[in-house]
This record gives sequence, structure tokens and C-alpha cells, in this order.
Amino acid sequence: MEAVLFGHNRPDRAVTFDEYCAEGGFAALRRALAELSPAEVQQAVIDSGMRGRGGAGFPTGKKWSFVPRNLPGPRYLICNCDEMEPGTYKDRILLEKNPYLLVEGMALASYALGVQHAFVFIRRGYEQAARNLRRSVAEALSAGLLGDRILGSGFSLELDLHQSAGRYICGEETALMNALEGKRANPRAKPPFPAIKGLWGQPTVVNNVETLANIPAIISQGPAWWKGQGATPEAAGTKLFCVSGHVRQPHCMELPLGTSLGEIIDGPCRGMRPGSVFKACIPGGASTPYFTGEHWQVAMDFDPVAKAGSRLGTGGIVVFDQNTCMVAATLNLIRFFARESCGWCTPCREGLPFVRHTLEKIENGYGAADDIEILREHVHQLNYAFCALAPGAMGPLEGLLRLFEDELREHISARTCPFKTR
Amino acid sequence: MPKLIIDNIAVEVPDGTSVLEAALSVGITIPHFCWHPALGKAGACRVCAVKILEGPVKGIQMSCMLPAQDGMVVSTGDGEAVALRKSVIEWLMINHPHDCPVCDEGGECQLQDFTIAGGHGIRRYDGKKRTHVNQYLGELIEHEMNRCIQCYRCARFYQEYAGGTDFGVLGRADMVYFGRQCDGPLESPFSGNLVDICPTGVFTDRTARFRARYWDYDMAPSLCPHCSLGCNTIPAARYRELLKVMARRNDAVNGWFICDRGRFGNAAVNAPRRPRQPLVDRQPVGWDQALDTLLGRLSEFLELHGPGSLAIVGSPRMSLEGNIMAARLRDLLGAGTICYFGSSKQSEPALEAANSLTPDTAASQADVRSADLIAIVGCDLLEQAPMMALAVRQAWRNGARIYAVDCDQTTSLYAGEVAPALSALPFSEAKQPVIIYGTDHKQPDSSDDAVRSGTKLAFILNGPNDFGCALLAREQGAVPLADALAGGKIKGLLSFEADLTTELPDAVRVLAACDWQPTQLMQRAEVALPATAWIEMEGTFVNNEGRAQRFRQVMPPGLPIRGLGPDGHPPREFRKTAPGSDILPGWRLIADIIERLEGERVDVPLSGRWQKLQGINAEDAGESVL
Repeated sequence: MEAVLFGHNRPDRAVTFDEYCAEGGFAALRRALAELSPAEVQQAVIDSGMRGRGGAGFPTGKKWSFVPRNLPGPRYLICNCDEMEPGTYKDRILLEKNPYLLVEGMALASYALGVQHAFVFIRRGYEQAARNLRRSVAEALSAGLLGDRILGSGFSLELDLHQSAGRYICGEETALMNALEGKRANPRAKPPFPAIKGLWGQPTVVNNVETLANIPAIISQGPAWWKGQGATPEAAGTKLFCVSGHVRQPHCMELPLGTSLGEIIDGPCRGMRPGSVFKACIPGGASTPYFTGEHWQVAMDFDPVAKAGSRLGTGGIVVFDQNTCMVAATLNLIRFFARESCGWCTPCREGLPFVRHTLEKIENGYGAADDIEILREHVHQLNYAFCALAPGAMGPLEGLLRLFEDELREHISARTCPFKTR
Repeated sequence: MPKLIIDNIAVEVPDGTSVLEAALSVGITIPHFCWHPALGKAGACRVCAVKILEGPVKGIQMSCMLPAQDGMVVSTGDGEAVALRKSVIEWLMINHPHDCPVCDEGGECQLQDFTIAGGHGIRRYDGKKRTHVNQYLGELIEHEMNRCIQCYRCARFYQEYAGGTDFGVLGRADMVYFGRQCDGPLESPFSGNLVDICPTGVFTDRTARFRARYWDYDMAPSLCPHCSLGCNTIPAARYRELLKVMARRNDAVNGWFICDRGRFGNAAVNAPRRPRQPLVDRQPVGWDQALDTLLGRLSEFLELHGPGSLAIVGSPRMSLEGNIMAARLRDLLGAGTICYFGSSKQSEPALEAANSLTPDTAASQADVRSADLIAIVGCDLLEQAPMMALAVRQAWRNGARIYAVDCDQTTSLYAGEVAPALSALPFSEAKQPVIIYGTDHKQPDSSDDAVRSGTKLAFILNGPNDFGCALLAREQGAVPLADALAGGKIKGLLSFEADLTTELPDAVRVLAACDWQPTQLMQRAEVALPATAWIEMEGTFVNNEGRAQRFRQVMPPGLPIRGLGPDGHPPREFRKTAPGSDILPGWRLIADIIERLEGERVDVPLSGRWQKLQGINAEDAGESVL
């Protein structure tokens, strides 16, 4: 594998504009504007087999193709950099190391989609990333790589950075658009989908930072080359995995999509911490059901992970060792989701606190056998929430009930958390 | 027109109808909180879940969000849907206080109904409830946030429907709070509707707090008497005291809402100063004595001055029936003058409306709501007819252009452009243009000819029966009271629910006045005859668009029980009749006078040309008199 995203990285600082350009940066944009039509850029993305890196894994080219070409009025591109999924920090690292990839990727995507005004919606806490991005936008502007008539072509693009006031729900694309419009960050009903009626009622594409940062390589090296960077024939491209937890060297790394869980932990992460034995992990951010030792060989790609009962999500892997209480870990996640509910729909707003309360009872030794039934009911009923937040929150709880029911029952029968007394 | 099957009933509904509305149309009520007919869907509460068995989508769906489509087979009673609805109620009840016994909403609470209906009886959540601090929202509306089930109806109504800016949603997750940034009276002139649309007891009518339960109320369909629009209301009374007023749905007129003046401005009905007792020369007398004295003095007066010097005065405050009877009394006595309006400033817009409106051109509030161009001419709309301003806002929200001619339209409800004259407006581009004339507008000039045919007109008038009085005035050759007095010929008045707009010369005798309010004329009257207020009688008002509407008797007349005994205690003595209950509607009193004069029974007022108004049902949309 060749590094697609981290190839320009410097060990201790962000790459500079000159360094990036000297290493072939913005070549893809130059080439596209000189040689390719917008449709050809879009076709390259379709051919690459790229699936969105924000968590849902929706094919990016297909998402772009939903944007109607004949509607009057502006179209918008939004980069979703409201990265707030616990265990996920890849977008931050990417922007802190190399913001130019995103700028170039957004310019290419805007060119393909006929967008003249694009936004980066960035989480408030990502101050270094925002500073980097702001600087890189200014540099690109003065180099004629953004703004009016880019590189003498007929294509113009205004790129705005919006530092969000920030909440987890702002990462939901329709809530993000409401927030960008200055409204409460409540999700919108779908349909209409953003591709038809998005920001200010106009066709809008929302893509993740990592997705957009991959576009330059797809254009400059070709979709076939890019596709070939995966670990398996089905896996297209590379993926940023950000590992945390009880491994020896937790960090954010670029690996071929489809690298197995075991290889990730034993390879770049240099195995478990001394004294730690792998018990379970969150495979793709806080809203994904757990993996255990039996999933060691699962290829970390969208379909194999889904087949194994979880989701690849954002690639944020959180590793737990043998001393981790899975009830407490799940409770910790549910606390986050209950707090981050926007409060719009009943299942999420009231159901998550109910789950939190029930898990608190079990963890503190006041649980009853009926409580497991309450949890199971919620795993099912919270699917009918307004947006994906509550169903996502049920991911780890579903994993807990499926994989660690014994541990739950032990809490109830022992009337305490067994990990506290061990 | 999609055809679908809901619970084995075949339904055909217009395109764009939701499954929930389609079910309602065949009498199946799917529980709902956030959906409201006037506010639309939100998809927030998730209690309207149904199961779609066949069709383009399947499985559990929210019926408010799902447009009815051909071939759908819907089950509202499917086990999975029932289980989800039960879960939703359980979630909502996690934090809802069990304070129904002290909650004013108890008995008229949608949450109560759906909790019982959903079968949620056993509480599984054993944690603490979240609590909020309430806000002071003014003297009219009580705030109790702990009861909130976060349906967002209040914020959607207040901000989106009514254009208010000082109330909304704060906070997040299970601490979502509906209120103002700080304590203080709600600023919107439509704030009282929060009481009606809140499905539980977060907003209750502070003026009626702790006074009665829903099943205690005397209620009947009624009308608002405060302006000319004729908005439909349901007054609620108990023990001969008006406690509160609620909006009554009439899609053609006020829709689902009323303004705060109509809701909270009715204290005069209960006022202790209200006339309850016939007076002769300010001395209390019995009814017979009062009427005998009146007839005696009247015949003396007619003998002395001749009928030409007598004026019969009706009023746009009085029912159509009363004003018709006033005209009959005038015919009988041969009185020289009949007046229906105080001044020409009042009569002219009403006569103009009566002369220029036709069934094709009269614009209802519904027409205004669906207009795409609205010109407001010489009118302070929010002051003179608040609900019309709210109707204009709905048109504006749907993209209508609003123009103000000869007036200022600075309001947060809609953004209007100032136009120099009607002739400058692009009527030809509009599909459904409406002109709203206020009472301050100048008579239409020749430039109004530029207005293309098909433009609908609305006239904002003064009183609830201005239009009816204008029809009678035209027929009877009535003159405004101020003009009649200025002529100097008038030496005596018989006044019925009339108001003075000018000084009444000392030489003019008020032989008798009949009213339910302590007016100047009642104080001057030699014979003062108390009458029933509109909610104590049945009658008809003709609103600004020429729509005759019926109001029914809400409560019996008489002194409220509260206040009869010391310290507000009910009286301790037994009586067969309530004190002050022997008063009559204005029209009936005139009929009594006529009967005494003629010695025979008088015909009902709505006869002859008014016959067609006899059958109006108060619950219907009304009958046009155009």
C-alpha cells in the first residue's frame, strides 16, 4: 500500500503549502480543470468504488449522482468535520497534519458537482485543525487555487469555514444544515433528501473530511490505482483507523481498507499493553456493537464488519482488556448519547435516559432480572426514533446484550459490579 | 386521489394527505401529540405509529409523516404498533408529574386520554423525575414546565404560525425547555392559543385557574364580539360566571385560533357594575312597573313632540335580531329617525362593504390565508382585526407579497412593502389577490379600477354586527346618531345597546336605554332596562364579509354565585330563581314593548327577508347574506 492521505505527513508539524505543492499537491486540481469535465471527475469517483468515510459507508459517487443538474439556483457542498463520535479522531489528525488535501478535495468535488459555494462545518474544539484549515484556504486563495476563475478556468469556488457551536447531533447531516442556517440543530425529516433540498432549500452534498481528502488521489493516480490500495479485492482504497484503549501504542494510522482487526492491533499498535489481554473492542466509533476475540480475523471493511454483526463506522477502534466492565463501558457510552440527544423525538429524548438509569442500577448492584427485558425492549423500540442517533446509541447496548449477557446477569445476581470486587 | 385501506375501511383522500389525516377522515383517531391540523407534522412525539402491511413502504411508520399512497394497507391496531405507542407513552410519563388532581388541564388533557387509552398503568421507571423552574409569563398564562411532553407545538405555533419572537425552545436532550429568555409577559397578541394547543397542562388559563373542571363548564358554540371578524369561540362558564374562552374551529373564518383580546377581554360579563335591575329615574323597580312607566312616558312624549322627534337607536354591538326588532318598533311608533351607528365614521365603511361585496368578491379569512397578493389599505390590521393580521401572515409564509397603501405595516408578523397606490400593484400577475380595506381608508377612487376583476375584497369594520346593521340601515334609511342629533330635530331617544360617540345635548331625553353594560346612555336613561350579554342568549351576528353566524346561549343570566354571599361564599339561603336572572335578550325586550303596545304576539325576528338565516347551525360555517 502507498499512503494516500498520510504520504505528505511530517512527524512533528503540519506540512506547509510549498512542501505540499512540491510533492505533487494540487496537481489533481490542475489536471481536472485543464483536462477533465465535471462529469469525468464524478465518473472517476464512481469508478473508484469509494464509500463514505463518515460512518454510514454510502457510495460517494452514487450520492453525488442524486444531485439534480437542471434545478435553478445554487448547489452546495458541505464538509462534515463535526467529528464527535467517542473514540474517533481521524479527521482531526488529518487536518492537523495536512489540511491541503481537504481543500483540494473540496475544490475537485465542487467542480464535479457544479458547486460555487462550499462550507467546512468544523467542531468547536478542533481549534488547531481550524487554524490550519483557515491558513490553507488563504494560501490556496492567494495562489489562485480557490476563489474566482480558478487557474484561469471558468470554475469559481468560495470556501467558508464554519466553527460550529457544536453538539454531537450536528454531525447528522440535516441537523448540520439547520445549524449552518442558524437554526436549532434538530434533524430534518427525510424525504426530501439533502441532494434535492438541503442547505437553504437547495441541492446539497454532505461529505466527510476523509472522503473528500481522498478525491485528489483518485483524480491524480486514477480510480483503478486508488481502488487497488485496499487489502482485499472488495475493499477500495485506504482507511484511517484511530485506535485507543488498552493497546501498547494507540494512534491514528492509515491502513489498507480490509486489514483485519488482529493485524491492526498486533501490527501498528504493537499489541496489548503489558498485563492486558484483549477482551473486546468498539470497532468503528461509539455507536457500533462490540467485537470480541472471535472477531479477531474480521477484515475491517464495510461489508465484512456488517456481516460480523457490527459496523465499520468511522474506524475509531477502542480496545478493552480483561479488567474492563462491559456494563460500565456501555453505561459510559449511553451517558454520552443521552446527553447529546437533541431532544426532538420521544424515543431518543426519554428512552436513552431510561436506558441510562437501568444500566446505572445494574452497575451499582440494584438491578433486577426484569431490567434486562427493559434494555432489550429499548434496543428494538429506539429504532423508531426520528434520526439515527438513538438507533446508533443502541449499537453498544445490543452488543452488550448479545455478547455479554452473562456479565449483566452476574451484576444482578451478585448485587454489585464484579469488576469492583475483583 | 390515492385509495388505501385503513383497518379494513377503504379510504380515498386528496394527494398529500397524511395517513393520520386519512384515518381521521373515517373516524379513526390515531393518538398524536406533535401533529396539529394547523401546524402540520413534526414527527417528534412518535405516538402516531401504525403498521403498513402492504404498499410502497412497509412496517412501522409514523402516520403523520407518511403521505397516503395508492395500495396501502394500514393497521392501527397491529401488535407492534400498539407496543411502540405504549412505549412512547411510558417514556413521556417518565418525567410527567402525577399532579392531575391539581392540574387545570385535568379532564381536557390529551396526554391523560392517550395514557389511559394506551394502557400504560404500571410504572417501570423508578428513578428521579427531571424538574424545571417555571417562568412568570404574565397575568394571563400559567407556566408549569414539569408537565411538558416536548411536542414542540407551542414553539411552532408561537414562532412559525404567529411570528412571535420572545418565546421558544431552550436547552437540549431531556432538559429541553419551552419558555422565554427571562420571566416576563408573553408579547404576542396570540399567546393565549398556547393554552388551547398544549396537549397537556404546561400552559393553562391563569384567569380561570383552579375554578372548574372541564365537565363542570357550561359551554356552547359562540362568537367573539370584539371586532368585526366574527371569530368562533367556546366560552366556558360556571355558576353564571364566565371563566374562560377557547377558540372554536371554523376553517372559513378563524381557523383554529383566536386573538388574546377575544380570549381574555371578556371580564365585563362578570363585572359587578353590570346593570341587573330595571331602574326608573335611577330607582330600582319591577319589570312591569318599568315597562308601564316607559309606555306612559313614551305616549306623553309622542303627544307632546310628535313621532318625528323620536329616534330609535340600534347598535352594531347588538344581535341582528335586536336590530330587526328595533326597526319594527320604529315602524310601529312611526318614529322619525332610526340610527344603527354612532357616527358616519362607523357607518361609512360598513355601508361601503354592504354595497360593494358580492358572493364572488367577499374575502373570508380563509381566502386571505391562501392569497398570493395582499394589499392592505388604510388599516392598522393588528389593532383593528388581529386575526386578519394572522391570516395575512399565513399567506406571507406561503410566499404571498404584502403591500401597504396609506398605512404603516410594521409588525413582526409579515414584511409588507409600502406602495403609493393600488394602481401601482401587480394585480395582473397574481392568481388570488385580496385587498383589505381598513376603517381609515379613503373611499375608493378611480385608480381602484386598475384592480382587475377576480380580486377579492375584505373590509375591516368596527363591531361584531356592523355588516348586519349596514344592511338594515340601507333598508330603513337610517342615519348615524351623531348626524341625527346635529339636525336638532331629535328630542328623545329609545336606545338599545348603543354607544355615544358625541356629546348628548341636555335637551334630548333618553326615554329608555337597554343594555348589558353600564354605558353613558344607561346612566342618562329615565328607564334603564338591563339585558343579557351575548353569551346568555342565542342570536346572530353578521361579520365583515357578510357571513351570518349563530351564537348559542352559554350560561343562564343572573348574578354569579361567587360574590352573592360574604367572603365569596355561596349564599346560605334557598331561592327558586337566581337573583338577576329575570333579564331578557335585547330583541325580546323590544318584542315585549311591541306586544304591550299592540296587544298581540310578535313574530320571530328572523322572518320575511331574514327567513333564510333562521336555520343556521352555530356549529356550521355560517350563511352568507350577500
